[in-house]
Amino acid sequence: MSEAAFFIDYSRCIGCEACVNACAECDTHRGTSMIHLETIDRRDSVQTAPQICMHCEDPICAQVCPADAIKKTPDGVVQSSLKPRCIGCSNCVLSCPFGVPKYMSGIDQMMKCDMCYDRSSVGKKPMCATVCPSGALTYTSMEEIQRTRQGIPVNSWKFGAEEVKTKVYVMVPREVTRVEIGLVQIHSTPSALPNDPYDVALMLEGME
Amino acid sequence: MQKRIFPTTGSDSAHAMTWGLIAATSLVIGIFVGSRGLRDFDPALVSYAGACVFSAFGLGYRYAMWLRRPPTRLYWYRGWHIFLDRKHFMRNVFHLGRIFWNNIVLQRFIERRSHKRWMAHWFLAWGCLLAGAVTFPLSFGWVRFETSVDNQQIYRAFMFGIPLGSFRLGTWIAELTFNILDVAAVMVLIGVFFALWRRGRDHGAMSVQQFSNDLTPLIMLFAICVTGLFLTVSTHLMHGLYYIFLSQLHAITVILTLLCLPFGKFFHIFQRPAQLGLDFYKRAGAEGPQAKCIRCGQEYGAALQIEDLKTVQAELQIRFQMTDGSHYQDVCPQCRRKNLALTQDALWRSTDMSKRGLL
Amino acid sequence: MAKLPVETPELVRVFGPTLHRVPGGGWTRTTEDEKLVKTHCCFCGQQCGIQLRVQDNKVVGFEPWEDFPFNRGKLCPKGVKRYMQDEHPDRLKHPLQRVEGVGFEAISWDFAMQRVVGEIQRIQAAYGKDAFAVLTGASLTNEKAYLMGKFARVALQTANIDYNGRLCMVSAGAASKKIFGMDRSANPWSDIPKAKVILAAGANIAECAPITTDYIWQARENGAKLIILDPRMTPIARNADLFIPVRPGGDIGVFNGMLHILIERGWIDRKFIDEHTTGFDQLAESVKKYTPEYSSKIAGVPSEMIVKAAELWGPAPTSFLMHARGIEHHTKGVDNCMAAINLVIATGRIGREGCGYAMITGQGNGQGGREQGQKCDQLPGSRDISNPEHRKYIAGVWGVTEESIPQKGLSAIPLVEAIHAGKIKGLISICFNPMISLPDANFVREALEKLEFFTCIDFFLSETARYADIVLAGSLMEEDEGTTTNVEGRVIRHRKAVTPPAEAREDWKIICEIAGRLGYAEKFNYVSPKEMFEELRVASKGGVSDYYGMTWERLDETNGLFWPCPELGHPGTPRLYENGKFGHPDGKAHFIPVEWRPSDEMPDEEYPVILTTGRVVSQFLSGTQTRRIGALVDQASQPFCEIHPRLAEKYGISDGDFVKVESRRGNVVVHAKVVKTIRPDTVFVPYHWPLDRSANNCTNRAIDPVSNIPEFKICAVRLSKVDQPTDAIAMLEVQAGGVR
Repeated sequence: MSEAAFFIDYSRCIGCEACVNACAECDTHRGTSMIHLETIDRRDSVQTAPQICMHCEDPICAQVCPADAIKKTPDGVVQSSLKPRCIGCSNCVLSCPFGVPKYMSGIDQMMKCDMCYDRSSVGKKPMCATVCPSGALTYTSMEEIQRTRQGIPVNSWKFGAEEVKTKVYVMVPREVTRVEIGLVQIHSTPSALPNDPYDVALMLEGME
Repeated sequence: MQKRIFPTTGSDSAHAMTWGLIAATSLVIGIFVGSRGLRDFDPALVSYAGACVFSAFGLGYRYAMWLRRPPTRLYWYRGWHIFLDRKHFMRNVFHLGRIFWNNIVLQRFIERRSHKRWMAHWFLAWGCLLAGAVTFPLSFGWVRFETSVDNQQIYRAFMFGIPLGSFRLGTWIAELTFNILDVAAVMVLIGVFFALWRRGRDHGAMSVQQFSNDLTPLIMLFAICVTGLFLTVSTHLMHGLYYIFLSQLHAITVILTLLCLPFGKFFHIFQRPAQLGLDFYKRAGAEGPQAKCIRCGQEYGAALQIEDLKTVQAELQIRFQMTDGSHYQDVCPQCRRKNLALTQDALWRSTDMSKRGLL
Repeated sequence: MAKLPVETPELVRVFGPTLHRVPGGGWTRTTEDEKLVKTHCCFCGQQCGIQLRVQDNKVVGFEPWEDFPFNRGKLCPKGVKRYMQDEHPDRLKHPLQRVEGVGFEAISWDFAMQRVVGEIQRIQAAYGKDAFAVLTGASLTNEKAYLMGKFARVALQTANIDYNGRLCMVSAGAASKKIFGMDRSANPWSDIPKAKVILAAGANIAECAPITTDYIWQARENGAKLIILDPRMTPIARNADLFIPVRPGGDIGVFNGMLHILIERGWIDRKFIDEHTTGFDQLAESVKKYTPEYSSKIAGVPSEMIVKAAELWGPAPTSFLMHARGIEHHTKGVDNCMAAINLVIATGRIGREGCGYAMITGQGNGQGGREQGQKCDQLPGSRDISNPEHRKYIAGVWGVTEESIPQKGLSAIPLVEAIHAGKIKGLISICFNPMISLPDANFVREALEKLEFFTCIDFFLSETARYADIVLAGSLMEEDEGTTTNVEGRVIRHRKAVTPPAEAREDWKIICEIAGRLGYAEKFNYVSPKEMFEELRVASKGGVSDYYGMTWERLDETNGLFWPCPELGHPGTPRLYENGKFGHPDGKAHFIPVEWRPSDEMPDEEYPVILTTGRVVSQFLSGTQTRRIGALVDQASQPFCEIHPRLAEKYGISDGDFVKVESRRGNVVVHAKVVKTIRPDTVFVPYHWPLDRSANNCTNRAIDPVSNIPEFKICAVRLSKVDQPTDAIAMLEVQAGGVR
């Protein structure tokens, strides 16, 4: 079996927040959750999505850090800011294309997902991916993910003209080789009911 | 495209080299002038002074390199610019004093992270600064003690050759002066023990710490303190036994540490004050106009910082311009996350619907 | 005297619920002297494996248990934070006595026992044995469930014992028994990913059985189609191939309508029907009139949805049906389930790999809790209390005469009604919080206040325990050991992690001591739960839920065994009904025709809107435990009313407004949550909260004639926008019933 990798499938997420709660339990986080769990727009949909650090090969957060406080481990994990260096400027928060780093005003410092380094560095799965009941977050081998999923893992992204490669993979349909980001609203997602894909009243129309 | 993190071009190193030389030369001149043309210079401490000059070169070089990074440079200039703004200069000076007291003297920002960490750090930092305040002027020949010509019981202190005062042997001020380094050593040792205790016990800290970066500095400080304290022990309790050997050992530990200053963890001592400049930048940002996210319309940061980031990104060749003319930097972090999920979900929906003949 | 001794805010001040946020020993973790105890979550019926981290007899955290086959380390937020109920400041550590005007004061065990036993004897002498009732719960281990049944029948000799599974699994159980002849999910969960079509009816799987989500998503990865019936678009419904937003109470329209089309288009398994079933002709006759158009009117959805559902279900090679409280909490709950199960039998897709049926149990031991004889009509081994053979066998196990075993008693709702009517005067309850979980909460409160004596075994002072005369400090799941039977029918071991704090005692020791003081010491002289299991094995022998072949050692070795397991060498039975062999004496499945009928209370001009209730993912049932855990309360801090924008507009309600949801029985004032994901004729309020925030102030106590389950899922209400309440209850913390 090859080395384990992290795979995200946003569409599987059920918004239970097991990841958020488990994240806080990791020894390097101690009661502070680093993961994001977004409710896309509750009025229109029940869609939710987790966001962990994607651990870029050439992290933009580190490039824009004036204090040189963000470092990558030899195994490619981008760490939380180094405490002696981080000056809390939020450049990383504002520049990360995935919206990952969190500025913690209480300690005037950036913190972010470090893939539960206390766990993943000794062969254990990160907390969020261990508990995630929906499999939206999965930490397993490449063979296993290819064997069990319809889609394929991809780790290549394009934000505008910026190409980004990440250590974490996203599950996409087989024909996709790179995820290209444009601006999407719920109303512009493809569905059988244009404009409002999840409006129950529209689904019931035609009844009387 | 791999590893784009700030290529070190020839011109960069030349520039930094220049600053390194300026720093080292300034120190040499400082030593020469401060010791009144080496008259006050203690030849026994020449190895320390030499190491300091070397260290000054390294620090100058490293600091200049650090400031060559576009984001650092930007903050550096912005910080000074805002600070020196004539309209608010007095207010800024007052504010600087306040944040200096809180962040540098009391180190409150560490206290907010963890009490234990703060205690350890406070003892370490002030132990080191205290020791530095004594030893650097001594080894540069800026400060000098001598017995009074007419009374062997009276010591006189000079700075830059100017008499500072005198004290009698056996008074508390004398004890304090002669043992100030022991006090500093004990403070540093307390800090080292706290830090090592935390690092050796806390599961979280253990998993992310690196030997070279986190433990070596503690070990070096420990070595300096212990060898230094042995000197005192040797003098007072063992009639000078092994004094020469011990003083050489102590010199080696100190010189090694001085040479390490520009590298690794110790460099943060020189980086940290940059945080003071950031404070002014943040205030200016908060008082100025705020940027609104082009996806959700909510304010998400200071327009000043967002625009500066675009400049920094351009210098770093990060290209967030979208094909429709908009700029990805104008999307707030939360919308970026939502957008990613919607994009991926839409990929599945399109595939699914095209399979079912709906698209 | 079961009235509050002082005002609610004072009780809340002393006993909580308060929020616990930091693990015992703090966040900084050292691994010194730590042990990991492999056990299971104390909450829902999935009974996920989890390892508790224990230091100095304190639970200080958890570690996923990835080797446990059911959940492989996965946990929902409740499982992640469950350990925060340990070392909790609200924990009851001594027996308590009600003191009028003061509250509760700590007393000695001896004094508490004297009071309890004295009152039992007084009430039974004055009003008859049945005047003292027992209410229990389905979160008790098998051992404790067995003990409570035996305690009621042998030590109290009261007929009136029932449990809160009455609010949970009884409709599904009754339907299964009628059609299959057995009451258990027919398949292990490992069959779900092998199904090519999955129908989940009235099951908010993402929030109420989160671990099942991965099984369903895995089926979809393997190409399965997913059909969801729910008045609300739940998180899994968002990805369904067909989401049918059925009207509450309209499910039979969908099921019978589907069957109508299956028969019409020949998508039924004639051979299977002929060989393994009875009653198909009457069934076929009964669904003739359920044309898509007719069904559509009942179900309240477009007829094309029903046709589409039949088209997905009918021709599939394998299929899996699952249902939960959404179709079960009705006065026709049993009928709803039977109509759904008919679809499984008619296609012959049961008892094989990837083909099956499951009911999703709600409570921790929802399955085992209903087998060991704590139901009013049942003896251990799922035996029938009115069957002389069954009575005789159990009398033999217990060493009592058959005549001494009381006959069938009252089920939970009639039991509370009998208290209200003054027929039952004394009550002992354990693992039950009727003040929140029963419908028509005001009626329940009135009933409790009429008791002459009420004693309650609890680990926190629940909203119900506040009414007790004597509160007996019992044990949390991790402070005792035993077994539970999970959603699949898998019997698993709960291991003891720590001992009960201070003077608190293991529940079973409390019950055994009361029994002993009542003069039955020799029948309750167990030294450990393991001994009770040994007796339970024998008591279940030859019954439907046969545990005889199981021992704790075998359970430890195998990570759980599925019943029936009749012999020591028997491997257990993960999949039921293989080769078309069903549980009835004739070995066949019995089709039962089902006719739709209206719910007890339909919306009318005065109360025009349907209220349906349910759960949120971060809270569990009545919230006695989960409303005390900071992270879980933060996630959903107070109840809300989900309302479609079209309906909201009618009442001038905007998102975040305070809205009063009012039925003929009571009201609840909560924030409006305006969402497009619910039917415009229905509003939804989750029920975990107490007092003025209890959805059950509104719900209807009408019950199903067969299962006696109350109709939680539909009642008629009216809505109005109101100002933020500022009374004393509203000012409490949100977890105690306040609003913010």
